[in-house]
Amino acid sequence: MTVLRNYHTSGNNKESFLNTIASKLGRERRHEVRLPDIQSLLPDSYGSLTQDDLIDILKEQCFFIHTQVIESKPEILQRTLDDLIEASGGGSVMISGDPRFAAYGLMFPGSFVWEEAAGREQNIMRAESADTAVIFADYALAESGTIVVESRPDQGRSLHFLPAHYIAVIEKQRIVPRSTQAAAALNRRVLTGEPLGSSINLISGPSNSADIEMKLVVGVHGPLSATYVLI
Amino acid sequence: MSLQTDKRDFSERTTDGLGDSFMRNAVGSAQDSLKTRRLSAATALGDWEQWRTAGQQIRQHTLQNLDYYLEQLAGNIEKKGGHIYFAATKEEASSYIRDVIVQKQAKKIVKSKSMVTEEIDLNHVLIEAGCELIETDLGEYILQMDDWDPPSHIVAPALHKDRRQIQRVFAEKLGYTDDESPEKLARFARKVLRQKFLEAEVGITGCNFAVANLGAINLVTNEGNGDLTAAIPKTHIAVMGMERIVPTLAEMEVLDNLLCRSAVGQKLTSYITVMGPSAAGDTDGPEEFHLVVVDNGRSDILGSEFNEALQCIRCGACLNVCPVYRHIGGHAYGSIYPGPIGAVITPLLGGYDDFKELPFASSLCAACTDVCPVRIPLHEQLIRHRQNIVKENRTGSMERFQMKAVGRLLSSPALFGKTLRFAHPASRLMSKHGRIVRGPELIRGWIGSRDLSQPVKQQDSFRAWLDKRKGESGQ
Ligand code: SF4
Repeated sequence: MTVLRNYHTSGNNKESFLNTIASKLGRERRHEVRLPDIQSLLPDSYGSLTQDDLIDILKEQCFFIHTQVIESKPEILQRTLDDLIEASGGGSVMISGDPRFAAYGLMFPGSFVWEEAAGREQNIMRAESADTAVIFADYALAESGTIVVESRPDQGRSLHFLPAHYIAVIEKQRIVPRSTQAAAALNRRVLTGEPLGSSINLISGPSNSADIEMKLVVGVHGPLSATYVLI
Repeated sequence: MSLQTDKRDFSERTTDGLGDSFMRNAVGSAQDSLKTRRLSAATALGDWEQWRTAGQQIRQHTLQNLDYYLEQLAGNIEKKGGHIYFAATKEEASSYIRDVIVQKQAKKIVKSKSMVTEEIDLNHVLIEAGCELIETDLGEYILQMDDWDPPSHIVAPALHKDRRQIQRVFAEKLGYTDDESPEKLARFARKVLRQKFLEAEVGITGCNFAVANLGAINLVTNEGNGDLTAAIPKTHIAVMGMERIVPTLAEMEVLDNLLCRSAVGQKLTSYITVMGPSAAGDTDGPEEFHLVVVDNGRSDILGSEFNEALQCIRCGACLNVCPVYRHIGGHAYGSIYPGPIGAVITPLLGGYDDFKELPFASSLCAACTDVCPVRIPLHEQLIRHRQNIVKENRTGSMERFQMKAVGRLLSSPALFGKTLRFAHPASRLMSKHGRIVRGPELIRGWIGSRDLSQPVKQQDSFRAWLDKRKGESGQ
């Protein structure tokens, strides 16, 4: 019978582990480091693009990542979303608790909302049984066709992965050129001590795999399809 | 599985690989498509060479200050209520994880693809402890169902199998009745595994990069299994090699771009996630988060002549351009880390006794060095290994003679030139239709399975041509 250590109280090997590293590097432990400016090495290939340019780049990239892009407007957003849900076979819908759903006057009768009050099991079960998830993006990255979302009490991590179809609404002013800008904005929050969600997801289209004979299969463990709606 | 995947002789393993024409075709076409995709994604980034330099500098800076960044990471993980454990050996790492799981009385475990968990032999340890453990990455799941066949590529683990073999495995082990189309096979696996995610008590993932100033880990995936593994079970255990860390999200962003483009030719993969211990009010994600930081021989590489090997971000690009990998395949390396980077780090982690042949499994063409997104001088490190092995007298006498001869040859331009002049007429004695068919031991393994062109005649060689031209233009 193996003797188990209690990991809650077990002495940590941290000090000896880090001392070994310092000694292999031939110096004392370091408690202060200056981070070199690496960003200045990188060319800014998207310097002077307009909002329309970014939309074009995003649309083009989405073609390559098997993601449908629909241009809509706040006034007809409900119709657009209803049509999309209908087109992928109808069925049940789960949305996040994002206040923008109310702000745009969106309603999906019979749908579930990810909510703190429902608790873990309920939320996961609802997401698993939903045919379509609808969420709002925090940012969209034109170059890679990516949306950025952050976990919150009213928007769990698995909402982005369990439902069969995934619809992200992107407000055009949230499109930035590439991942550089999103990473910088998030890092600024880290530096000022503003808390970040426990999961930041950069999502570029539906799930996929090329594990069988390098042949691309769209739709593996995550959603089978992804659609972006621009407003 | 541990580092070593096959205890047979290197020559037996390569003979196996060379005789497997399906595998060689599969590897060849995979290399070709990955190479093209990498190239177009790299070009699209604009100045790729500058990006590589940035990647190299980030990795070097982090390695030079590794103790500082790991300490910062530990503080931030603990501040958020997570656990961090520093494991000096693979046994320490896997038994810590086993202890966490046994104390929770958890049985059902889902895993997403992670090379370092292979290195610490985790699956074996957990199965021994009575757990039901499921690999959820499609390629890894196929290998597990095929009685834990070892992976043959660090990005595409089941590369050596064709769809019919996979169909057969699913039919035998899981009662699959449909045809061999990759879509149907993948859909079937999705259904089986969905249930496993929902039932799992513990999820185990690797870690592409830990983010020191945030206290989080970064996962780069395409299938979505990594995120489900971390989001649904109540306990998430992440395992990282101690060098896989970045200072902030800004450096992570640079490395993720290099990684995605070099590994699979995508600008960004479908899912890039930064995750850590749950925050107040979270309704899914782990209630308990552990990060296990593994040394297992890495600190001996730190500060040594092989230091740069620790810059590796495991993109697999060096495998995809390697002519030797193309012909012998991943299994012939007998290590979970195959290809050029495998030939460099496997002997460092596992010792020369078991892996002294690997540094010789290279043509030193330097294609790996050219392609590496963080500028590891792979072929120079292979030469350094060879020198050490020869110095330690570990090679056979013939190899030793050849290495000395090659060493002298390469270090003396005059001798090299003479040899080239000699090589063409000499090689004629051994060749048929301009292809060499017989040769000394050094090249025999190579020409047994592929064509080696006869050396060009001295008067046709580039150097001779250049000299002649220089002479003509009076320079
Ligand atoms: S050595 Fe370089 S090219 Fe090879 S896997 Fe590592 S980072 Fe990629």
